[in-house]
Amino acid sequence: MKESRLMLIQYSTAVVAVVLVAIHLIMQGVIYPYSTAISFDNILSIYRNGYYAVFLEALLVVVLVHGFNGVRIILHEFRQTAPWSTWVDIGTVLAIAVSVAYGTRTVILAVFGVVSG
Amino acid sequence: MGTVGEDKARNKRGLQGWLNPYHYNAERWAYMFQRVTGVAILLYVLGHLGDTSFFVGGPTGTGPSTSGWAFIGSIFENSFGHLILILVVLVLFFHGVNGIRLILTELGFIMKEPSAIEYPYRPKSLSTTQRSLIFIGIALAVVAAVWAFLVLFEGMG
Repeated sequence: MKESRLMLIQYSTAVVAVVLVAIHLIMQGVIYPYSTAISFDNILSIYRNGYYAVFLEALLVVVLVHGFNGVRIILHEFRQTAPWSTWVDIGTVLAIAVSVAYGTRTVILAVFGVVSG
Repeated sequence: MGTVGEDKARNKRGLQGWLNPYHYNAERWAYMFQRVTGVAILLYVLGHLGDTSFFVGGPTGTGPSTSGWAFIGSIFENSFGHLILILVVLVLFFHGVNGIRLILTELGFIMKEPSAIEYPYRPKSLSTTQRSLIFIGIALAVVAAVWAFLVLFEGMG
């Protein structure tokens, strides 16, 4: 993918992340008191509200793409040899894939898993 | 690897090029902090992915687990954990506002027309608006950190 397009993705995810993170912070400290927001029952009800589960998944993807692409940009600033660039790009894709998969697993299990003690 | 002088001439000073504070203006400091806070936030997000996974019992869990969530709460729900969260809010707000400034600058909305260089050699394209946004970002970050402190320590007294 062209660098110009990757920078466009970086800026787009930044703008979306500002909105999603703001909503996330409001949910954690404004709508409910913090102690209520982090209680097991409240988090379970949030995950099992379909809209908020989709919201959390979107937050996960947007923040991780923005974060790892940002690190990729920093690493490209350090060095510009062809092998370095290739490995940085491959590492970025792998890091995004692994971390999104792990976070998605949490969302899926929270939504569909059986509650245990 | 070249000498320090050669690396400087080729603009390949790596971390030294970032962290050398000589001749920095506000924009250059903001550039450095944007990257440092970005990496710090990414590290926090990865840790947050790990701790929230304990809501479903951790890496080997199979569904929502009250004991898993109580376990992770016993580690992070204390003054030290809350201090970390306050620092995260602090750098998050700076990174967000400064990031918006960078996007607006990149798109040319808050840049002035470039003109011939004259003494005292200040870059004329850097407008007051974009520089003000750096300080607005710092101010908002401090306000948000105070808000986070009040929210997090509200029930601990």
